[in-house]
Amino acid sequence: MSRIRLSFLLPLGVFLGLAALGAVALYGTLSGSRTPDQLPSVLIGKPAPPLDLPRLVTATPAPASAAQVTIAPFRGKPLLVNIFASWCAPCRAEAPALEMLSKRIAILGIAYKDREEDTQQFLGQYGDPFRAIGIDRDGRAGIAWGVYGVPETFLLDADGIVRLRHAGPLTKDVIDNKLIPALVALGA
Amino acid sequence: MIAELGHIALIAAFVLSLVQSSLPLIGASRGDTALMTSGPAAAISTAVAVIMAFLALIWGFIRSDFSLALVANHSHSTKPLIYKISGTWGNHEGSLLLWILILALYGGILAVRGRGMPLAMKARILAVQGMVSTGFLAFSLFTSNPFLRLATPPLDGKGLNPILQDPGLAIHPPMLYLGYVGLSMAFAFAVAALISGEVDRLWAKWMRPWVMAAWCALTLGIAIGSWWAYYELGWGGWWFWDPVENASLMPWLAATALLHSAIVVEKRGQLKSWTVLLAILAFSLSLVGTFIVRSGLLTSVHSFASDPARGVFVLGILLFAVGIPLTLYAWRGPQLVTRADFTLASREGGLIANNMLLVVATAIVLLGTFYPLGLELVTGARITVGPPYFNATFNPVMALLMALMAVGPVLAWRRGSTPRLRPVLIAAGVVAVASLLLFFVLGKGVTVGAASAVMLIAWLGAGIIGDIWAQIKPRPNTGIATRLRRIPADTAGMWMAHFGIVIFMIGAVGDSLFSSEHVVRATPGTKIELADRTVTFAGLRQIDGPNYQSLAADLDYADKSGRIFARLSPEKRIYNAERQTTTEAAIRPTIAGDDYAVLGDGDNKIGFTLRLYYKPLVSWIWTGAAIMALGGMIAAIGRQRTHRRTTAGTTAASPHRDDSLPSGQPL
Repeated sequence: MSRIRLSFLLPLGVFLGLAALGAVALYGTLSGSRTPDQLPSVLIGKPAPPLDLPRLVTATPAPASAAQVTIAPFRGKPLLVNIFASWCAPCRAEAPALEMLSKRIAILGIAYKDREEDTQQFLGQYGDPFRAIGIDRDGRAGIAWGVYGVPETFLLDADGIVRLRHAGPLTKDVIDNKLIPALVALGA
Repeated sequence: MIAELGHIALIAAFVLSLVQSSLPLIGASRGDTALMTSGPAAAISTAVAVIMAFLALIWGFIRSDFSLALVANHSHSTKPLIYKISGTWGNHEGSLLLWILILALYGGILAVRGRGMPLAMKARILAVQGMVSTGFLAFSLFTSNPFLRLATPPLDGKGLNPILQDPGLAIHPPMLYLGYVGLSMAFAFAVAALISGEVDRLWAKWMRPWVMAAWCALTLGIAIGSWWAYYELGWGGWWFWDPVENASLMPWLAATALLHSAIVVEKRGQLKSWTVLLAILAFSLSLVGTFIVRSGLLTSVHSFASDPARGVFVLGILLFAVGIPLTLYAWRGPQLVTRADFTLASREGGLIANNMLLVVATAIVLLGTFYPLGLELVTGARITVGPPYFNATFNPVMALLMALMAVGPVLAWRRGSTPRLRPVLIAAGVVAVASLLLFFVLGKGVTVGAASAVMLIAWLGAGIIGDIWAQIKPRPNTGIATRLRRIPADTAGMWMAHFGIVIFMIGAVGDSLFSSEHVVRATPGTKIELADRTVTFAGLRQIDGPNYQSLAADLDYADKSGRIFARLSPEKRIYNAERQTTTEAAIRPTIAGDDYAVLGDGDNKIGFTLRLYYKPLVSWIWTGAAIMALGGMIAAIGRQRTHRRTTAGTTAASPHRDDSLPSGQPL
């Protein structure tokens, strides 16, 4: 009976695997060899994935007051696409930043896996910087755009090509060092 | 001077805990009684030393001794006394010391009590406990010393985050820690059993009260935390699936599984290796909960960079505290395997299903919590997984668990059916269908989720009541009173804890289905309609608090007939020392539902944002949790009583007992 059985090694194996992962990540971060950087996105340099979502009715007049939200009407100028949700705390944190950015560039919102009334309330509470908001109730658009979670922000150039992708809230650091330089490069 | 004494006491505790973790273990392996008895002595002395250190730190906070770095960084002279005291554990170093204090107290209690316990078992358990204490005392002394002095003390402290200056937060962490650390006892029992290679029914019998105590404290701690979030954060929600909340939920789920599997070990001598594994898992999750998330070590990559030593230390402790027991488990575990001697449709089968579902639920929460953290660590991206994930995965598992909760207790050990099985389940089924129909007739916005939740509540509620009735209804020669008296505390506690879940679910479902809310920009004089009441914004007031200034809005609540039945005054506070604003929601809790009001931004010209909620049945959520904890306490205390009556000679308790009898109870 004292023979070691595989099934009894399993918990240890799983734990050591996790610990090794943690140690590698910790070492990488501490030694500075792994600089926490933006997520590599296969979308960079490629046309933005198709977007066709029902439009959330808000006070902001949309360029094309159609019932659907698409990228096409925004072509010709850089566009920021922000994926958010009312249930997401970091989205609240980045709301002022989006408000400020909306003076400089058009922002299109995608309300990810959210109820309409909750999104409305979120906008009422934290402001509405969006030109238009698409309702992505079941997260299909999120899958098409390869979203890890909310919030995420994509920068598209005048031709609708993805130039930048940021997962996580737009902090001052991200805006100053990533987003603004990218905007300047695009002439926005 | 006092602080230095505290520091010395902490060092003494470290040395004593080294003794506690080595000598008794050597004694137990050699059968040396003198060495074994050093265990209790060392545990008691460690506890005394840690109490002294903790009191010294509290004293520093009470006296506002700003020459202590910790006090200067986290306290302020104008803070009310209660928050000066609770501020002791409102920071990393202090909360670590509180954790150690509770650990040492548990060790001391085990040393003093449990006289009937075999000495070798006690020695091993105390030794394992001592190893855990040693690790944390080293962590405190070498990386997070709370007694560090400043060369040039500041004139006043930096203050405590105002959101933490709250009575709920004065009791929330100690309660939660009682639970987390209580699981260290189960852990010590498990590791001691792996060292000796023996797990018997007596072992489970000794361990269960500790698991129950820890579980009750954890339940209350989580409930208080949720209640605090509800009234303090001002979002009207009571659970946010935030990493900090999940960190306390995971050990709770594991402890709940352990609580149930330990019953099988005690009553039937089965599931031994699984129970040992669960005990290790539950405590590991507490460690992860307290130190990775609560101290903010992993919530942000940057906090690691600020003090790499701490991160490395935590990882080291985890590696030892989890890695070594799991290695022992891989080696000794197979010895504990017993042949299953029961059918699937039996009490054992039900408890195994309970364990499987709870472990899956734990894994779901673990994944949802650590996926974003892991992603951040690897890529630097900070994202939220959020409620959609948990609603889609966690809720169905829990629903299945609730459905089985009505069935399990009416099954018999080993062989399945009891005479009460059929009537109880039929009654539960009928009530569930009836309530579903009623819900369709009365309900608005019926969804699949809502309908199944209502059915589950009715099913479980009726199932429990049916089981109670079947066991207490008068029989030809015994009346209700007599049968009631014969119900063991275990069973009564179980009914109560399970019924607490029914109450909790009523609250959760009532709140999510029937809540009304209204967000308006209002000036004094505005009237707002909300859920058959009229709210009048009567006016604004300035309030000067002890260490804050506040703007309060007076809201008069009137019912349909126009009679004013309540005045709520939500506030916006500015704390002077911290220059921080908080919103203080005004809440009028009743059994039927809560009125909840929050004052937002604005000024006299454009008006103020008011967020008003009416949240039906929401207070049932915490009432349910309290009932659950009470049920656990009844079971634990009842067990202690029966236990004391029969302490001598239970070693030979017969292995096959009927389910209606508590263990070791004379008939």
